[in-house]
Order: sequence, then structure tokens, then C-alpha cells
Amino acid sequence: MTLNVRTAAVRADGLSRRYGATRALDQVSLTLNRGITGLLGPNGAGKTTLLSILATVNEPDTGQVSVFGLDPRDAAERLEIRRRLGYLPQELGYHRHFTVAGFLDYVAILKEITDRRRRAEEVARVLAALGLERRARTRIRALSGGLRQRLGIAQALLGRPDLLILDEPTSGLDPEQRLRFRELLSDLPGDPVIVLSTHQADDIAAICPHVVVLLQGRVHFAGTPAELAATAAGRVWAAGARDARAHLSWRGGDSRWRHIGDNPPAGAELVALTVEDGYLLLSHAAGAR
Amino acid sequence: MMSSLPGQAGPPAGADGHAGEDLLAGYAAGTVDGVAVWSVEAHLTRCARCRAALSGHVDAERLAGNRSVLLVRAALPEGGWVRRLLCRCGVPDHLLRLIVATPSLRRSWLLSVAGVLAVVAGEAAAVTHGWLGTGGHMVPPGYLDPGVLAPFLLVAPLLVLAGVAAAFLPVFDPASRLAVAAPFSGVTLLLVRTVSALVAALVPVVAAAFVLPGPGWLPAALLLPSLALCAFALAAATVTDPRAAAVAAGALWALPVLLLAAAHVPLAIVQRNAQFACAAVLCASAVVLLLRHDRFDIGWTR
Amino acid sequence: MRPGAAESDDAALLRAVARGDEEALAALYDRHAGWLTVRMTRRCAMPDVVDQAVQDTFLVLWRGAGGYRGGGDVAAFIWGIGIRRLIDAIRRESGARRRPPWRAAEPEVVVSAEDQVLVGVEHGRLGQALAGLSPELRSAIEATVLDGLTCAEAAVLLGVAEGTVKSRCHRARVALRAALAEPPSGPDTTAPRREAWGTS
Repeated sequence: MTLNVRTAAVRADGLSRRYGATRALDQVSLTLNRGITGLLGPNGAGKTTLLSILATVNEPDTGQVSVFGLDPRDAAERLEIRRRLGYLPQELGYHRHFTVAGFLDYVAILKEITDRRRRAEEVARVLAALGLERRARTRIRALSGGLRQRLGIAQALLGRPDLLILDEPTSGLDPEQRLRFRELLSDLPGDPVIVLSTHQADDIAAICPHVVVLLQGRVHFAGTPAELAATAAGRVWAAGARDARAHLSWRGGDSRWRHIGDNPPAGAELVALTVEDGYLLLSHAAGAR
Repeated sequence: MMSSLPGQAGPPAGADGHAGEDLLAGYAAGTVDGVAVWSVEAHLTRCARCRAALSGHVDAERLAGNRSVLLVRAALPEGGWVRRLLCRCGVPDHLLRLIVATPSLRRSWLLSVAGVLAVVAGEAAAVTHGWLGTGGHMVPPGYLDPGVLAPFLLVAPLLVLAGVAAAFLPVFDPASRLAVAAPFSGVTLLLVRTVSALVAALVPVVAAAFVLPGPGWLPAALLLPSLALCAFALAAATVTDPRAAAVAAGALWALPVLLLAAAHVPLAIVQRNAQFACAAVLCASAVVLLLRHDRFDIGWTR
Repeated sequence: MRPGAAESDDAALLRAVARGDEEALAALYDRHAGWLTVRMTRRCAMPDVVDQAVQDTFLVLWRGAGGYRGGGDVAAFIWGIGIRRLIDAIRRESGARRRPPWRAAEPEVVVSAEDQVLVGVEHGRLGQALAGLSPELRSAIEATVLDGLTCAEAAVLLGVAEGTVKSRCHRARVALRAALAEPPSGPDTTAPRREAWGTS
């Protein structure tokens, strides 16, 4: 298989994986193109398993993966994939006694940047990109959760990867940091393929032009956030009081009740749709099965 | 060393005693030549103002780039004498940094190992020299009861095994998933770590063996069992779960030692027959490792 | 700023750097990296090598290995470290071809009157004699006398064999002595000290 970084994408066909009796992934197929794709789903939906398979850290029971035309089952091609990969696993562990710069230096070596000068330049570049320059000498055990998360994102960016896999990158970040993160992702040189997982719909709405919804190990939606929101058309309404017929109801900030359900009452006040509405509907439908 | 140019007149006189903008610009651009340059340089050595003015003629982006790389290099730990020694021996810099990340090379680990050895070896020495009674009967000083050596024989190779296990078990590497997903050869990483852990563990073990009262060949006799245990653990890790492999290797040593100690011949574990057995285990493990080393590249997922 | 105040600032900065103060390192860099870069570039035309050498110089100061004893020009001290770092960096560029430092076809800058006085040597007899040397001889003198390098180090810097450096220095000394022995050919605006160039 020939490598084609410019136009090819990441493809997964019929991936399945079980852990004991649990089916983590069930016939998952998707395509990732250049730009940002969000993987949306609750905890336990299989997002981490799917991302670890794409990152060549895990092997599926059945199914095929193709990353830029390369097959991870072949050792040489797997190595080529890893050369172009940046990966932030969920709950990344750190050598706590390492300093920020020391840890990034270590990861840079793992990414085969053996020349000391190039390594220092790369580390300086990602430190600047994530605003961590002043923390270069801080020990990791002294970092707050948000800073550690930024460090995790920084290590993924080392080496300018063509495929960036981020598992829950925004967890632990406050709103301002999330904004910086979005700017960072849209500004990455080389236009890589980026896939990030989250269980927060507003992250998707803000960052991702493409979204895949994963529920119970299966793909329930693949498209744009607008299309996801549109799937809830006609099924989201507001009222002054709680409506028992709705699947989900909650009280909004304006002390009106917002309802999501399949049978809105006649003449109900339909409201503007959000990505979250579409997601919640899908989630409910999947749970009902 | 630094001598001012002979023959030069005293402090430069002039409108304000400093180099003009044109001269500085020319110097920065390289268009001023010859002896004028030497005067400028000599003046710059003494004049902060002109130095600052000269900075304005240097590419700001280049200066800023060097600045950030400098701060990164300054932030990296320099490492102690061991690192410098290894560097001088020609070990590439990036391998040195990988070695540093090994948990069994941290000071805390090494101190614990040294502590355990000190206790075990010290007790054996104390009993033999009569400083400590052995629960009841008095031992004539100088008499070597082989039973006294049993704890040390049990513990020493296990400590080496523990050091190597800490080097390769993913549970000890917090960033193990990063290491798997990265292109750097998993086998090289493993080799670098286990070899350095092995050396770091063998040194105190052998040193303690010298302190121990007992046959003079004891320090050397510990090498083969230690190596065989570690090789076995690694080879078993390619076949089964790494933790189980490490535990199995530990049991493989502990059981015979305990059995022989119960039979009052503890030294048999390091004598000739046992040495042959260890050599056999070492060779077999080496073969398995050679055949199956690619398992370390795939990851510890199954 | 009076020269004395700047000096003591620099000395204090150096001490802070050796103690591990990162901000002091950045401040020291901001003050000295500019002229250091230019001065190194005059001796080595490869910007990558110069960048490396500049970083290495400040790293030496950071690790406290420079051993600044206090007193004397901080800038001169920094240059003493810098020139050796530059030579090391050049050595590490194994296999790289060295281009000679750029030279203008002829000096293009019209030097103002003040600058001409600043460059007092230029109009002194020694200055004329030095100007009369060919460029290789002058750069050999610059390396061994001005920068205080050994012949081996100068050889690395100039990209020639050590024997060549020695012979060029010898020829330069001979030429200078001959030029100084002649009667002066222009107005003697300064009174240069006639210092011996050493025996031989």
C-alpha cells in the first residue's frame, strides 16, 4: 500500500472489540478527513477503545483500519503510522518527578527526534503554543489538573503529526482555556487529521466541523453538527411547566422548562435546536433499544 | 588571553565617545572591514550603550528564537556524574535521557535496594562474627553456618529481578501508552532500560556479597543466577502477562532457595550444578527473546 | 547610564544566573546576545553554528562553570567563553564546508569624523601597517592576538591547518615590523604606544 498523506484519510471498517463479556465496539465504520472530527458519546461508549485502535496501541478483534493508506497490522507500516501520530490517551500518566521540559524532551526522543538541537526547538515550539514557557522547570507533580492537561496536549503536538488523536482533551480545562485550545487546533500547521473525543456537546458545536456519535459501541450518527441538531427538528419545545410526555426535561436559566421528546403537544413552542438536543435524542433512542 | 590591541590610543574621543549608528550598522551587516572592526569590538567590550544599540541591528526573530531554545535547554536537567561518564564513553545523548526515565535508577529505589542489602548482609556478618546471637545457642566466632547466608541468597537475585521488572513492566512506566504509540523502537527502549537497571542493581548486590562472610567466589556466583532470572522474566513476558512473568521468575528462584535452606544446604543454589542450570535457563530465554522480541513493539494489550 | 552602573548590573546578573535565576538568564541574554551574535558571525559565516554557539555560551554561564571572579569586563568574560564555544560548534560541524566570513568587495561605509577618531588606530602607524597586511594574515593575527586563541583553536576557526596559522602569524609579524620601521606616511593624529609584538 502506498502512503499518501495529502489526500487520503483515516478509514475504519467493521471494527469490533470485546473485553470479556463486554462488547466495547460493534461493527464500527467511519472515515476521518483533514480537519477536526469530534467523537461524541457517554463514558463507556467505546470512544477510548476506538481511539486506541486508531493510535495503533490496541488491536481490534475484527475489522480493518487504514491510516493514510497504511495498515497497522503490518509492522513496517505500523511504524510509519506511528511516525506521523500524535496521541493524548485518556488519563495519561506522567513521571511525576520529571519537569515539564524534561517530560517533553523524553516524549520527543520517543518520537525519534534524536538530534538534541531539533529536540530543544520542538519543545520550545510546543511550550510556546500551549503557553507553558514559564513552567518549563516546574515538576509535574506540582502542576494543577488544567496545566497537566495542557502538557498532555503539548506532547501530542511534538513532531508536527499528520494524525492527532486526543482522548478527552478538554476535560479539566476552564472555558478560557477551552477557547485557547480551539484556536490552537484551528491554527495547526500542515492541516492534520484531528479526532478528539468528548462527552460534552458544546465542545463539538464550537470546534468540530464533523461529528460522529458513538453509543454502546456503535456509530449512531456521522455528519456535521448542524445535521445532528437538525435530527431533533420538531421535537424540542419549551413550556412554563414540566411536561410528563417528554423524554427529558429541565429548567432553563430563564426558569422555563425545556423538553425533548418524540411527541410534543400540539401548538407547543418549538425552540432553536442545539447539537446537544440531537445528541440527547439519539442517546435516549439508543438506550430505549 | 584577552589583550587589548597594542598600539591603540586610549579611550576613543569623539563627539560623545561612542560608535555612530552608521558604523554599528556597517559592523552588523559585515560591510565594515579590517582594522576598524577591531576598534569597534574593543569599544563594545566596554560600552553597554553601544552594545544595546547594536542589538537593534540584529534580526529580532532570530534572537527571539534562540532565546526560547536557550530557556528550554536551561530547563532540562543536566544529570550527574554518571551521565557525564556515560557521555564520555560515547553513549548517545538520547539514550542517556531514556535511561534517566527508568524508575529503578532513581535515587529512592537504589537507596531502598542498598538498605535491604545492608540489613540482610549485615545480619549475616554480625551473626557469623558473634555480635548477634542466633536465638539460643551461641555460635563460636569465626564459624560460618551456611544457614546464615540463606536470607542473602534469597534476597539478592530477587532484588536484581525487581530492578529489571521495574524497568520493563508497563505498570511502572506511567507514560507506557505514549511509548507504545511512538515510533521509537520498543525493543531498543526495553534493552536500554533493562541493561541499565541490571547494572545498577548488580553493583550493590556484588558489593554486599563481598561484605558477606562466606566463600570468596560468592560475589561472582551471584551473577549467573541474577542474569538468568531476568532473562527468564523477559522471555516469559513475551508469552504471557508481564506481571505474571515477573512473579513466576521470582518464584522460580525463591522455591529452590527455600527448599535447599530447609535441607541445610543453602549454598547449593549457587554451586556448580545450579550454575549450569542457570546457564541453561539463560540460553533458553535468550533464544525465546530473539524469536519473539517483536512482541515488545506491539504493546501489552493482550 | 554610566559605564560603572551597567557593569555592576551585569556582574549582579551573572551571579544571579549562576544561582539558578531564570529571569536573570533571560535578562542577560537580552543584553548580550545581540553583540555576541554579530561578533561570532564575523568569524563564522554559518548562522546555525553561530546560533548553537550563542546558546552554548549562555548555557555555560547558566551552569556556573564560567567562574566569573568579579572585576573586569563582563562582556570580555562572556566573549572569552563565547569564542571557545564557537570553536567547539565549528568542530562539531564535521564534514561541513566552511565559507570564509563575508567580506565586502571594498569598505562601503563612509565613516563619519567621530567614528574616524574612535577608530584611532586606523590613522596610527600600527593601523596603517595592519591595514597593509593581506586578509589571511590579518585574520590570523585577529584570531591569535585579539581573540587570544591558541594556534590549534585558530586553525579550527579559520579552517586551515595549524602549521598554516603559525606561518601566517610569523609572516604577519615580519611584515608589521618592516612596515613600522619605515617612516610614517600620513599625519600622526594619535601617539600609539610602541609595544613589542613578542620576540622572534
